[in-house]
Amino acid sequence: MALRSFAGGTHPPEIKEATRGRPIRDLAPPDQLVVPMAQHIGRPATCAVKPGDTVARGQVIGEPAGFVSAAVHAPVSGKVKRVVQCNTPLGPACEAVLLENDGADIWAEGCNEPADPDGLSAQEVRERVQAAGIVGLGGATFPTHVKLTPPEGKAIDTVILNGCECEPYLTGDHRLMLESPHTVVQGLKLVLRAVGCTRGIVAVEANKPDAFQAMRKACAQRAEDGLDLAAQLLAVKYPQGAEKQLILALTGRETPSGGLPLDVGVVVQNVGTAHAVYEACAHARPLTERVVTVAGPGVGAPANLRARIGTPVRALLEACDWEESATRELVLGGPMMGVAHFDPDLPVNKGLSGILAFTDPTVFDHRHCIRCGRCVDGCPQRLVPSELSILVEAGRFEDARDADLLDCIECGVCTYVCPSRRPIVQWMKLAKDELARRRAREEAANRSGD
Amino acid sequence: METALVYFQIMFLAVFVQNFVLSKFLGLCPFVGVSKRRSSAFGMGMAVIFVMTLASLITMLIYRGIFLHPRLAQYQLDQYLKIVCFIVVIAALVQFVEMAMHKLAPPLYKSLGIYLPLITTNCAILGVTELNVIRFTGESETLGGAVAKSAVNGIFAGVGFTLALVIMAGIRERLDSAPIPEALRGVPIAFVAAACMALAFFGFAGMV
Amino acid sequence: MFDLTAFVIALLVTAGIGTALGLVLAWGGRRFHVETDPRIQQVEDALPGINCGACGYAGCAAYAEAIVSEGAPMSLCAPGGADTAHAVARVMGAEVEAAEPKLSVTCCQGGHVDMRFDYHGVQDCRAAHVAGQAGGRKACTYGCLGFGTCARACPFGAITMSPERIPVVDWDKCTGCGRCVEVCPRGLNRVDPESYYVFVLCQSHDKGAVVNKLCDRGCIACRRCEKACPFDAIHVIDNLAVIDYTKCTACGKCVEACPKNTIVSFRKQRRARKKAREQAAQAREGAA
Repeated sequence: MALRSFAGGTHPPEIKEATRGRPIRDLAPPDQLVVPMAQHIGRPATCAVKPGDTVARGQVIGEPAGFVSAAVHAPVSGKVKRVVQCNTPLGPACEAVLLENDGADIWAEGCNEPADPDGLSAQEVRERVQAAGIVGLGGATFPTHVKLTPPEGKAIDTVILNGCECEPYLTGDHRLMLESPHTVVQGLKLVLRAVGCTRGIVAVEANKPDAFQAMRKACAQRAEDGLDLAAQLLAVKYPQGAEKQLILALTGRETPSGGLPLDVGVVVQNVGTAHAVYEACAHARPLTERVVTVAGPGVGAPANLRARIGTPVRALLEACDWEESATRELVLGGPMMGVAHFDPDLPVNKGLSGILAFTDPTVFDHRHCIRCGRCVDGCPQRLVPSELSILVEAGRFEDARDADLLDCIECGVCTYVCPSRRPIVQWMKLAKDELARRRAREEAANRSGD
Repeated sequence: METALVYFQIMFLAVFVQNFVLSKFLGLCPFVGVSKRRSSAFGMGMAVIFVMTLASLITMLIYRGIFLHPRLAQYQLDQYLKIVCFIVVIAALVQFVEMAMHKLAPPLYKSLGIYLPLITTNCAILGVTELNVIRFTGESETLGGAVAKSAVNGIFAGVGFTLALVIMAGIRERLDSAPIPEALRGVPIAFVAAACMALAFFGFAGMV
Repeated sequence: MFDLTAFVIALLVTAGIGTALGLVLAWGGRRFHVETDPRIQQVEDALPGINCGACGYAGCAAYAEAIVSEGAPMSLCAPGGADTAHAVARVMGAEVEAAEPKLSVTCCQGGHVDMRFDYHGVQDCRAAHVAGQAGGRKACTYGCLGFGTCARACPFGAITMSPERIPVVDWDKCTGCGRCVEVCPRGLNRVDPESYYVFVLCQSHDKGAVVNKLCDRGCIACRRCEKACPFDAIHVIDNLAVIDYTKCTACGKCVEACPKNTIVSFRKQRRARKKAREQAAQAREGAA
């Protein structure tokens, strides 16, 4: 029987053999950590400590700035040395707290205590999630409590957990599902309670049969009357793990153009996020660490490391035999949607799922679009990337927007398959940036004109 | 059934097999001049359909009703008054369309610019009326039949014209951002594209 | 043989058709009457027709309509300049004060800044600005990226890139339309009246010590310009010297005081331009 899937997509090589068989290793936090205030979509947190303050692990060091924001917690116990500026993977530099680790790893008052997750109401789950500073750990870093609070009139009937991990090299979610499937399922149940629905599906790609079996068993063992929990196997194709593609494959519903999953009654969360929700509700542990896959030809011993937020990326690389002089490119995230970065002292943030070191990256010179149509075949959002890239290259941003540019999820399939090596995703980003700037200018002009 | 087939034949011929722009090469001026944007191309096409239909109707009425009237047949007016009267009719119709468009659709009026009054001198309009005269004034044609067939021919000749224009506009909008060599940018490459379109429409030859 | 009857019949038929159609048109003319001020078309003809939008209206047609129907100022057309303003004034039967020409300046001298990484991507300043975490590859995250987006955007071909990859504006071609200001992702271009002579050619808000290490022409916020200015027209705000053009008299004291040659005066070039323009105008009026 054919496994469910979506139209489009492509099949990059998986390259997961190096790390999928190795259990997650805890990385001891270094002497100094830099904890950024901007690790999520929405307004950056405001620094709540000053130099000289003593902090404990799990203590709030950054207050959320509004509803669409997230709290930042100290990942270790120690002293605040300074408030500094640090680089972020995609945006401008942000404020960060430089912490000196005292090595004692003492949790703050009220944290790391067992609590009964089953007794919590939907509102209490949401409050715990918000207090724990949980954001989408798949990489999008959208504040989870906002996702768990659907607006009036939007009924949710399905929760999907993304265990697909469709990017090459990355195996963090795979290992998590294999090693602690029960926390993931219990996290799923908490999410179901928060959004008020009964159907939960854990989606796993067919290249992780062991994880699939583990999740299936855990769902069966944690079954509850009135809840419909299931693990579903999906065909291996990139980007199966993308929200809208998961919804299409599992429920057959197509998210409308410009719409969100909640418009079709679905909430999607990463398995790592579900695990963090469980940790917050059952053990009162705020988000202070995450699993990062360190791999690539530039590291001698690739591994999945559980690292504290704020650990410099360099520490993770060195723990995996990093060949620094041979590395020509450092990618944060996966090779398809990740960002190349120049600063190895960048701290691990909540959205960092992978660190890849490449020694011999190929650099392409791009040519004209030959209209072969490979990108059109591959686009999971059913756009026409060739036309969009031509329009953006010619500076016709409004025409590009009319051609549904804003539905692009920047998955990278078009760039990957293009025989002319056109940097299509970069043009999409450029156009979105430019359109946002123009809209801001218009709004400013309207405001001053009124 | 016979009549239905005859009308289908007229329609198919007018739109595809004997497309006025791409097969007969009439009306090339607005074809190249107004085909830069799909919106203005469509608007022009609508104006041309209107003019062609009414022109066909009125000229056929005049031709069969006045020139070939038994009482006036002896003067053989159809020999030398045809072109003059047809042009007068067409010019009046275009003037009418201009006034109406200026009042009812000013942005379209503005975007068509000089090409709207140029419909008067558009050889395609005169061509349709002439063709009607040639095809539908046989001995067996009734006045009603001739007028109806002319009107249908007029409508679908206009539709064929619009089709060619809109396709051309779509192509030219794409050509805007294509890597065309400097020397061919603008009108030259448009002509090359038009030639390819004409070749493509050749495929319909002999179908009806 | 001349057949009179045939001649008359032909005449009557043609005249009849013509009259009938003429009556239809007369009815149509009344039914579809549109009031238009013929001056709108005349003003539109006097405008350059580039549709650049520098006047603030959506193209030349819109500006022409605004001039005639709403009494918009007649000298807003930057590319057209004084000649256009005069032509429009003639149509409207009014006098016009020609607006001062506006010129573009790029506030960066691109002095020998280190690169943080190799950039292999779309060779466009906006794309490069987004890459490398909104800082671009130059170690100075405020400076010109040098990919020539403004040069390509200029509708008049007034901007070229120097060998150091900084934009150079040809003021003979510049019309002050502002396109270069729009496209620069770092807001380095500015358009000012010709009578502004002195400019701070740097936009870096990094601390002085940082700038000193990064760039040999950047503003280090030493405040020597602020102290030297007799008119209180230049102040260092947020690590960058900023000129208040309502007070600046272009005396040039800050230019002399600046140790890094960040502040520059274009007095000579711009005064020469103004003089040449005035002489040309006089010659035109003398000939008229």
